[in-house]
Amino acid sequence: MKRFPLNRRTLLKGLGAAVALPTLDAMLNSHGTAYADGAPVPKRFATFFFGNGVILSRWRPAATGPSWSLTEELAPLVNVKSYVNVVSGYKIKIPNLRGHHTGAAGILSGYPFIALPPGGAPYNSKFGGPSVDQIAADAIGTTTTFPSIQIAVSKRLTRGEGPTLQFISHRGPDSPLPQEFNPAALFSRLFASFTAHDPTDPRDRLRASVLDAVKEDTRRLQAKLGASDRARLDAHLESINEVRSRILALPPVLTSSCVLPDPPTEDNHDIGGIEQLESVSRVMSDLLALAWACDLTRVASYQFSGSVGSTVYSAIGQTDGEHSLTHDAQRQNDVHAAVVYVMNRFAYLLEKLKASQEGSGNLLDNSCILFSSDVCEGLVHSITDYPILVVGRAGGFFKYPGIHHRSMTSDNTSDVLLTCLRAVGANVDSVGSEGGLSTALSTGIIA
Amino acid sequence: MTPPPDTTVNGWDAIGAAQLSLSATSVDKYESSGQQAAEIAMNDAGARDSILGCVPQSSSDPQCMNAFVAQFGRRAWRRPLSADEQNSWASVGNGAAAAYGDFYKGAAFVIAGLLQSPNFLYQIEIGEADPTSPGRLRLTGNELATRLSFFLTGSTPSEELMSAAERGELESAEGIRLWAETLVNQPGSREAMAHFFDELFQLRDLSQMSKDPVAFPSFGPALASAMRDETQHLLDSLVWDQDGDFRRFFDADYTFVNQDLAALYGVAVPPMCDGFARVTLPADSLRGGFLGQAAFLALMAHPTTSSPTLRGKFVREKLLCQNIPPPPPNVDTNLPNTEGMTTRQKLLAHRQNPSCASCHVLMDDIGLGLENFDAIGQFRTTDSGQPIDASSALDDLGSFTGARELGALLAAQPQLTECLTRNLFRAATGHVDTLGESAPLNQVHASFAASGFSFKNALVETAASEAFRFGAAQAASSQ
Repeated sequence: MKRFPLNRRTLLKGLGAAVALPTLDAMLNSHGTAYADGAPVPKRFATFFFGNGVILSRWRPAATGPSWSLTEELAPLVNVKSYVNVVSGYKIKIPNLRGHHTGAAGILSGYPFIALPPGGAPYNSKFGGPSVDQIAADAIGTTTTFPSIQIAVSKRLTRGEGPTLQFISHRGPDSPLPQEFNPAALFSRLFASFTAHDPTDPRDRLRASVLDAVKEDTRRLQAKLGASDRARLDAHLESINEVRSRILALPPVLTSSCVLPDPPTEDNHDIGGIEQLESVSRVMSDLLALAWACDLTRVASYQFSGSVGSTVYSAIGQTDGEHSLTHDAQRQNDVHAAVVYVMNRFAYLLEKLKASQEGSGNLLDNSCILFSSDVCEGLVHSITDYPILVVGRAGGFFKYPGIHHRSMTSDNTSDVLLTCLRAVGANVDSVGSEGGLSTALSTGIIA
Repeated sequence: MTPPPDTTVNGWDAIGAAQLSLSATSVDKYESSGQQAAEIAMNDAGARDSILGCVPQSSSDPQCMNAFVAQFGRRAWRRPLSADEQNSWASVGNGAAAAYGDFYKGAAFVIAGLLQSPNFLYQIEIGEADPTSPGRLRLTGNELATRLSFFLTGSTPSEELMSAAERGELESAEGIRLWAETLVNQPGSREAMAHFFDELFQLRDLSQMSKDPVAFPSFGPALASAMRDETQHLLDSLVWDQDGDFRRFFDADYTFVNQDLAALYGVAVPPMCDGFARVTLPADSLRGGFLGQAAFLALMAHPTTSSPTLRGKFVREKLLCQNIPPPPPNVDTNLPNTEGMTTRQKLLAHRQNPSCASCHVLMDDIGLGLENFDAIGQFRTTDSGQPIDASSALDDLGSFTGARELGALLAAQPQLTECLTRNLFRAATGHVDTLGESAPLNQVHASFAASGFSFKNALVETAASEAFRFGAAQAASSQ
């Protein structure tokens, strides 16, 4: 007999895990490369994603190797150029069954996406495996208060074609991780534990005991369900455990780079129908740098704009959504201008990380940020010669100063994903599956 | 603190909710919402004893705690609690009451907990063997009461409905039909169906819609909100006030406008304050029905220009339940210089590429007949300085000019109302209908047609259909 699938409704209107203390400067050795007790300084990983691709002729440097120069679209990175490795000539190797879906799933996970049978319903797809940031979270996010955080800036996403286009972080096919669009809300969530707890108030202990009873309910329910619903509830249990350890987490300790600012007021609401992209991304980038400096998390995904996104770049005088611009051959200058705008916002994040001291170096010295998009060029939905940046030294793992590494043999983009994972200390042998499977490193960018 | 937003899959939040698991961020939000709801309930000294169902005799009153857990648990979980569950939650409540020396604070942790439990968050449908048909699973009475209540009222079943289900009153099609008729006439049903229409017609996207402020200075959040209200007013009038033929939603010669919309449409309205007034559209108007409303015309357009492709795609996918194949990979969509061309001319140039033409003709030819409506749904007679030709001929639907004629062509197609019944079923059950469910859904449609396309009839017959009451072979479900 077939079972009914487990449905869920939104109805409400209206201790145990060890949590690491944040880094203290005094705990580092004199070089700032390791803790005084010999433990290495933590490495961090982030994906930074924007929709609809670049204009290759204005993106890719002409020269390869160490002597590359900034192009029109890379020019905003001038102050962090030595931390940038430009990767070109790689190809998405999962089956190219649908524009944007292929690129997003390929560059973020290496697994072919799963088409959800429409049966007369609108086309949808979901990821075929975990996104690379979540593999990193499993490896380096287990001791921090937040295994990973999901940041987003533009709200003009394509929400009608399933999780593949809507989200960039996925624990698995049925577990996309929702983004936080609101900087003020992200601040509250990240830094709530900074507020002093009254040790005589039993509230947090009781909240944890409530979650324990919810876990019992969940296990009792699992016993009655089929395998796929049991797996969904396993993910739910994992989420409950995460929330439970957060409730009981020790308050982080402020240091010279982990300084609690005033709560931001930016909440990502449109003004006159216009998204405040610059202000939102600035606060989000500040919060990410702070979350890393305070060691609240070591992994993040940063969705500046979405796959097939209809973000309007009003600040540079544009009035059309970007996706429709990319498909108009006469508007490619506007697409280019939008890419430059995004690169300026990305540069702000990188400069912020570079300005955050950690020992004798900075956060960029100890991180790896993978930058890419859902297509190579939006006009033709291409997936060859993919635009990829790998930014940060990851503790000396990557070439510094960065180079332009170009594959002449259309190597697999998943190689770059695997290289990033290894750079931040994830002990994995492969990334992706089928054509997207990689067991090879992009040795060209490794120091 | 608000609960986490839902994720739409295959067009419906309910389908996403039946497939995706909850992230830590979502669990976090349910936790805070649950705590907040509990505090509000227990801080209200006038209401809390009626929520508890008993008056605590002291700060620790295990008997009252037990009675409260049983009563509130049954309401929140839509079924009686097992002995294990009862003990587990009474112990949480007694422990918290002791810690605070305050019964109400203890009860608040029970409320917060029961509202975070998977038994509350998920619509659990385990089913039971159907004694009349060996090998088939049917929903239990409590499960069916829950499915019925969420479908028709958007909320948990009432005590009366749960008791009726436990007495077996929902076991026959006739029994569930009687209850469905009762629920459809309750006020919650209007709101639940407004939500259904918001999802089906993507009206929720209106609040996130961008338009070119230079080309459309009149456009802003207030106008976007009025667009949504206009569509809901027409539905409200047809479904609830008139209980009329639902197909008129697509070719009605009247609509509902406020001052902003009256200005947008260029129709005269009697002076009014803030409200909406019904206006009859001129007989020769190309406007009429949903496809002539600004909500549809503006949503299915770009910030500056109309989009015949998006408009046609919506009609095929959402109104007729047809699939449009994806664009082939690596197609060069580079067109000759289209400067100064009308949208029609640009799309026709696009069709020179045969690999684009086969699918675009399906979408574009619908939208080209709506070219007299610009990116915010205003009537226009020129595009790029040239007169607009808004005539269109479709192989499967016929020839038309403008929204009202297109609506009339669609209204004559059985696929339109068949697709609506399928969408109702998808929203109600959280899955795309399978082949095995097509026969019972065809019966729902036959009854819908026989009633003169009364939407209320479609609701009742969907609830009474075998596809709603019994387990079907689900491709995605597990053994």
